[in-house]
Amino acid sequence: MAKVATSAELRVASQRRWSERAIPISIQIGAWVSFVILLLPVAVVVLAGLNSGDYLTFPPEGLSLRWVIAFLTSPAWMGAYGFSMALALVTMVISTVLGTAAAIVLSRYRFRGRDMLRAYFLSPLILPGVVLGLALYVFYVVTDIGLAKSMTGLVIGHVLVTCPYVIGTVSAALVAFDVSLEEAARSLGASPWTAFRRITVPNISAGVAAGATFAFIVSFGQFDVSLFLSTPNLTPLPIALYVSLRYTFEPTAAAAGIFAIILVVVSMLITSRLVSLRKFGGIKFS
Amino acid sequence: MNTMDLTSSPYQNSFGRSVRAFLGGSRVFWLILPAFAFFLIFFFVPVLSLFLISLDKPVAGVVEPQWSFTATNFIRFFTRDTYYGAALRSIEMATLVALITLVLGYPLAFMIARTENPGRNTFYMILVLCAMQLDMVIRLYGLMVLLGDNGLINRALLDAGWIEEPLPLMYNFSGVVIGLVQFSLPLMVLSLIGVIRSINPSLEEAARSLGATRRAAFWRIIVPLSMPGILAGSLLVFAISISSYVVPALMGGWKVIVMPIHIYQQIAELGKWQFGAAIAVVLFATSVLAVVVYQRYAAITAGGRT
Repeated sequence: MAKVATSAELRVASQRRWSERAIPISIQIGAWVSFVILLLPVAVVVLAGLNSGDYLTFPPEGLSLRWVIAFLTSPAWMGAYGFSMALALVTMVISTVLGTAAAIVLSRYRFRGRDMLRAYFLSPLILPGVVLGLALYVFYVVTDIGLAKSMTGLVIGHVLVTCPYVIGTVSAALVAFDVSLEEAARSLGASPWTAFRRITVPNISAGVAAGATFAFIVSFGQFDVSLFLSTPNLTPLPIALYVSLRYTFEPTAAAAGIFAIILVVVSMLITSRLVSLRKFGGIKFS
Repeated sequence: MNTMDLTSSPYQNSFGRSVRAFLGGSRVFWLILPAFAFFLIFFFVPVLSLFLISLDKPVAGVVEPQWSFTATNFIRFFTRDTYYGAALRSIEMATLVALITLVLGYPLAFMIARTENPGRNTFYMILVLCAMQLDMVIRLYGLMVLLGDNGLINRALLDAGWIEEPLPLMYNFSGVVIGLVQFSLPLMVLSLIGVIRSINPSLEEAARSLGATRRAAFWRIIVPLSMPGILAGSLLVFAISISSYVVPALMGGWKVIVMPIHIYQQIAELGKWQFGAAIAVVLFATSVLAVVVYQRYAAITAGGRT
């Protein structure tokens, strides 16, 4: 008898607790207003790219693939898209290698000056992108080592702004990894390299892949650093879009945007499979 | 910045000793070397060189250092109202953007932090991250279609007969602010989520059980405890708003001239490298100042527990 009463009480208590923690309706309305602000411009781009008329009206005149086909058959737009893809892929590979190696040292060893070293690697995020691009451009011109107006020069700028993301993501994976597993392998006779390769690498590979995806997408959408480093022959998509928005404002730009949106959504779906987004409490900047 | 600190820091000797101890102790430490050298050569050297050039004698069209130190560029910046006016406008704009994104971002961050269903939580996070990662120029295309004189919003209001003239939503200060809010909102939300999630729900329950209304518990318990996230998010939004080139360039229609636009014009259009570098230094100093103010303020609010 007493037992039944207790469980009923517990149920009531847990229900009260649940309703206590339900989100107030005013906050929910505010949250959805923010979602509209975040996503409405993106929806407009998709509609403008699939619209059949020259100008987007609401409701749209009709759907057509006219601008998508215009994008896919335009050498300039496809060139910019392909260039951004190539730039982002090269950046991703270099950033992932450099960043993972640095993250291993930064999170596996305790040594004096470690926090300073961590700040050293995060500092490109504090510097405004336009200033970084300018500093690199001046450096390339003054040193005259063939980096000015080159793809390599652009890649260097992009690696600097993407590497901190790789370091952050891989460090998080390494912190979550239990070092005693590797020590166990060592005590069973594995060499340091074997223990690292067979035990640690498989355990942090999801974090590394997530970092690589982030590096790709940050590079693909990078405008500020590219501003001073791009040339008419080396035009990443964001710069091509900017030029189009300033001078012509054609719906082909919206069609190009659709393909960029697809790329971003796919990358974020991949990231969400690799790492828990719940842990993603923003990027630490200092 | 930090390399400078290393050489002058009191830890120098012990730092050097611990590095040596490591190089002797473990070869794994060498893994950090490629990234360290890359950042030194392509980040710290160029940035410090840019700072040096800002102190150089201004010669139009010449980048190469003249090695004649002068403060001319900075004096020029702070004595012409075109330039220091741009700095003040940038600060005013970035502060306003930080406040608006805080008001807009807090409810969204709160909802995501308190959504316990894992599937729905991931869905919300993907929406925020996609909005953040999408190239800003593409988002600006959407904003321009919405806010232009002939845009969707003005068309709808004119057709409904609510207004006679199109509202000036774009190519002015408020247009730039709207653009920057859209740009920085995801960062604010991400900064707040972690802090709100880490607030122990039993604190709120304790306040409720002691008779506080829900509203009182929210304003007197939850909001003060999310202060670190509010500060970090506002600082981040301030720093990226003040540094944005593309949003003022497209949404301001060359009527809202802020520091990044001056930098680009001085360098790319006028060839005034030294003066452009000086504006870049002022821009950087302003965002660093925001970090310093934030850290001091954070130390006060945390009761010195930093």
